[in-house]
Amino acid sequence: MKFNTNSNVYIIIYSVVMVVIVAVLLSLAALGLKERQDNNILNEKKVQIVKALGYDAATVSYDEVVAEAALLNAEGVAVENDTQKVFDALQSVKDTRAAGQFPIFKATDGSVVVPLYGAGLWGPIWGYIALAPDMNTVKGIVLDHSGETPGLGAEITTAKHQAMYPGKTVFEGEELVGITLKKGGADANNPHEVDAITGGTKTSDGVSAMIKDCLVSYVPYFVAAKATTEQVSNELNTENNGK
Amino acid sequence: MASKSLKNLTAPLSGNNPVIVQILGICSALAVTVQLKPAIVMGLSVMVVTAFANLVMSILRKGVPSRIRIIVQLVVIASLVILVDQVLKAFVYDVSKQLSVYVGLIITNCIVMGRVEAFALQNKPWDSFLDGIGNGAGYGLILVIVAFFRELLGSGSLFGFPIFEKLGLYELGYANCGLMLFPPMALIIIGCIIWVHRSINKDLQEK
Repeated sequence: MKFNTNSNVYIIIYSVVMVVIVAVLLSLAALGLKERQDNNILNEKKVQIVKALGYDAATVSYDEVVAEAALLNAEGVAVENDTQKVFDALQSVKDTRAAGQFPIFKATDGSVVVPLYGAGLWGPIWGYIALAPDMNTVKGIVLDHSGETPGLGAEITTAKHQAMYPGKTVFEGEELVGITLKKGGADANNPHEVDAITGGTKTSDGVSAMIKDCLVSYVPYFVAAKATTEQVSNELNTENNGK
Repeated sequence: MASKSLKNLTAPLSGNNPVIVQILGICSALAVTVQLKPAIVMGLSVMVVTAFANLVMSILRKGVPSRIRIIVQLVVIASLVILVDQVLKAFVYDVSKQLSVYVGLIITNCIVMGRVEAFALQNKPWDSFLDGIGNGAGYGLILVIVAFFRELLGSGSLFGFPIFEKLGLYELGYANCGLMLFPPMALIIIGCIIWVHRSINKDLQEK
């Protein structure tokens, strides 16, 4: 090299050029792949909703089982029915909830799916809970986390744990009690309890609190929907509501 | 020349393996080896990064101001890792979720920077590229061996296929070893691999 590669001017020019080239390259890559990545994220949400409803996501598609997506206000009235906007709102369930909007997915069989968002031990936990048309019986649940301890708190994502929820109920009379993850084992006769995770008490408590805190915002909607369901089933005098 | 180039490629697979001989990149080897599929994707990702980081740095080696060479190396490696991360998120989303932060942590994988600093800055681009492929493959090889044992003994499956269940082992009273799913067992398996490797390659044994 003829010029001094260790002179300050050379180093500054070198750095600037390098940073510009790298920035352009990375921006192009990010822009080019964004659509695909967004689709993956959207698809994952749809798969989780289908799973929460108790279907095998490999064989059943979102469009087959979900009739409608909506954002509810605090009174339980739908204010937005555009599917795309509801999924946009799911990007940050926390912010959406803080803004007084509550996403809900209505299945073709009358069940509903509600997104959950809460705090575990190390970071956020989230998921979806599906309630049968009686707005009381749990049809299924999907839980996920970002940083719970593998083998302990992270066990909430296992099929074994999530299989304990279906059939449990979230209302005691008119009062919302949610589902409690009971340390030391659930009472088999208590319809509002499932076993907590051994060694994952804080995460378990987080899941209990998350289910209750998230469902409580939907109570006005549940009450209204329950009334409609009962009315319809009384009129038709057909099979009992529930599963 | 040809045999020398070839040696750059093959030496890191066994005699100069980055994980079991140089003892580098242990952290991610413990973290992503619970199942085979993420281990293979991680191995390939590291291979791509080491190969291209070596190639780029070797091309740049004469123009890089030596006073900021570590910064330049980091920028090149970090950009490559971000690219890999973006591609994984776009094309194998489920695997990228399983790998989570460990893709980003390839930046701090000592193998990548170690090879750039020790090899690429002194050698020609093609040799450096082969050296990168070799070291990435050497790393991936160990990951796959560890993941094979951990998935087989810990979950009774390979690539998610429940092999022990099909063989009917559970009916005979066999139970999966839950301990295999925890990182310490990966360390113990790596220890066993090093033991076997050194007893075969006597010249690697410390006196």
